[in-house]
Amino acid sequence: MQLKAPEHQVAGHIAKDGKPGPLVDDKGRFFKPLQGDSRGEIEVKFYESFSSNTEVPEHIRRYFPVYHGTQAVEGSDEAAMIVLENLLADYSKPSVMDVKMGTRTWYPEASEEYIQKCLRKDTGTTTVSAGFRISGFEVYDHKESSFWKPERKLLRRLDVDGARLTLRKFVSSNSFSDIGSKPDSAFASSVYSGSHGILTQLLELKTWFESQTLYHFNSCSILMVYENESILKGNDGDDARPKVKLVDFAHVLDGNGVIDHNFLGGLCSFINFIRDILQSPDESAES
Amino acid sequence: MNSRNSDRRDCIYSCTKKMLKVPEHQVAGHIASDGKLGPLVDDQGRFFKPLQGDSRGEHEAKFYESFTSNKKVPDHIHRYFPVYHGTQLVEASDGSGKLPHLVLDDVVSGYANPSVMDVKIGSRTWYPDVSEEYFKKCIKKDRQTTTVSLGFRVSGFKIFDHQESSFWRAEKKLVLGYNADGARLALRKFVSSNSPADSNLTPNCAFASEVYGGCNGILAQLLELKDWFETQTLYHFNSCSILMIYENESILMKGGDDAPAPRAQVKLVDFAHVLDGNGVIDHNFLGGLCSFIKFIKDILQSVEKHDETDTSLLENGR
Repeated sequence: MQLKAPEHQVAGHIAKDGKPGPLVDDKGRFFKPLQGDSRGEIEVKFYESFSSNTEVPEHIRRYFPVYHGTQAVEGSDEAAMIVLENLLADYSKPSVMDVKMGTRTWYPEASEEYIQKCLRKDTGTTTVSAGFRISGFEVYDHKESSFWKPERKLLRRLDVDGARLTLRKFVSSNSFSDIGSKPDSAFASSVYSGSHGILTQLLELKTWFESQTLYHFNSCSILMVYENESILKGNDGDDARPKVKLVDFAHVLDGNGVIDHNFLGGLCSFINFIRDILQSPDESAES
Repeated sequence: MNSRNSDRRDCIYSCTKKMLKVPEHQVAGHIASDGKLGPLVDDQGRFFKPLQGDSRGEHEAKFYESFTSNKKVPDHIHRYFPVYHGTQLVEASDGSGKLPHLVLDDVVSGYANPSVMDVKIGSRTWYPDVSEEYFKKCIKKDRQTTTVSLGFRVSGFKIFDHQESSFWRAEKKLVLGYNADGARLALRKFVSSNSPADSNLTPNCAFASEVYGGCNGILAQLLELKDWFETQTLYHFNSCSILMIYENESILMKGGDDAPAPRAQVKLVDFAHVLDGNGVIDHNFLGGLCSFIKFIKDILQSVEKHDETDTSLLENGR
């Protein structure tokens, strides 16, 4: 089995300093190393619970990566990797964005140290002000014919207007590296709107979050993906195949009869940002 | 103005002066008592809230002024806010002389014996750019109460106890110490007819369907508010409360055609910390509101189930 580093990782851990990063194979699978402390365990527990939970409606499963169990390191019994569906396997030139959802990334059950660390990050980013923050993204730049990825540090400093601009840039054709140009939002309708668009999918998730009390998705992200190949071929973006997936379940807890109001509030705010872009594709129309 | 009108004006002024008293149905916030500064009501259905020192009072007045004239607020949403009548210099309740007061419609006027509950909505009561001290104070309380875990906390409530023919008020300390189950129980107690004083009694939720349910009930009103909060970017209602009010007596006057409806009402109150929305929805309030709605829905569902079980037991027993 040929394993290699994924091409389009936008957020989360990457292979660095001898520590393993995620890998993909040629059979559409994604191998995520189990994180130390209890986070890896929690994520496995979540996937195991979720995949067999009959209370999760069928139409909601599509928003979660398919789980293929765990895999041990050679010569040991210990689970070392979570095996998941490679969300980008069917895409040839995907633009990807990771958005961490929620007004706060901490939760009461966490350690005081963790809570303080999260609070600092939350107050310094759009998490507190907007209910979500952009963790990372990679877009296909149609003018340069190459992928462009911003520095993570820059993303952390985004304010509300910056987040808005970035969400427009994500669906624009004009050069990303050209900071001065106004994004043209050329693909906004193919990606964000329509019966299979991002907005429709987000609204379906929102409805579920208004009543589901199964899980609290602390610190989870929403991944948005779409295909640039069809746009390049001039199909008017018909086959942009926009997709929404929830990822990163290292901090998921039981809902205990309460809805995930933290995630839901942030999701509603994010939905409003997307709506605003669709309603005024010309940035100058915004007051 | 002719002399008759000015006589009438003087009479109203002096009547107002004489008839100012401590409101009976305050469940949270500052209470005017024992020489403390607090709100007052008159017998014309008006509520006088003293403008607090620091800038909070002014801030609240500014909000009311903005809100009252804001054309972007849909008509059907205005009913969820107290009607504002400007500010007025009024003799303060603590005897410190004439102080500016916010003049509002008293939301409980017109009710004979209203049951009232104050619920602070939002998973955080602090907001960006507050002082470190205020932030620490808020987050401590948020974490100690159900604010962080549920997205709302019960601030206080009182119910008209039919057995005793008097009001029962929840103890403040107990209320602030609620966990999720405590909050759930309080919401059930709020619409029950069995004695609230007896902590061993399971609340019977006798009024749940009439107060929480129905096309004009609390749930319907909360859902209308929720719709607005999903798109309104005008204001962020930091630290605001939802007040739930209903007339207990009328429900028990069953059999009378002229028995007044429970007139369950939802009102947003306490706007000392409202800020501009700046193009972002009030995701903090909205998340908490959705969680609160789920709690109310759960109570209604459990009452329906219970009623169904009773019915089927009756039928099977025949």
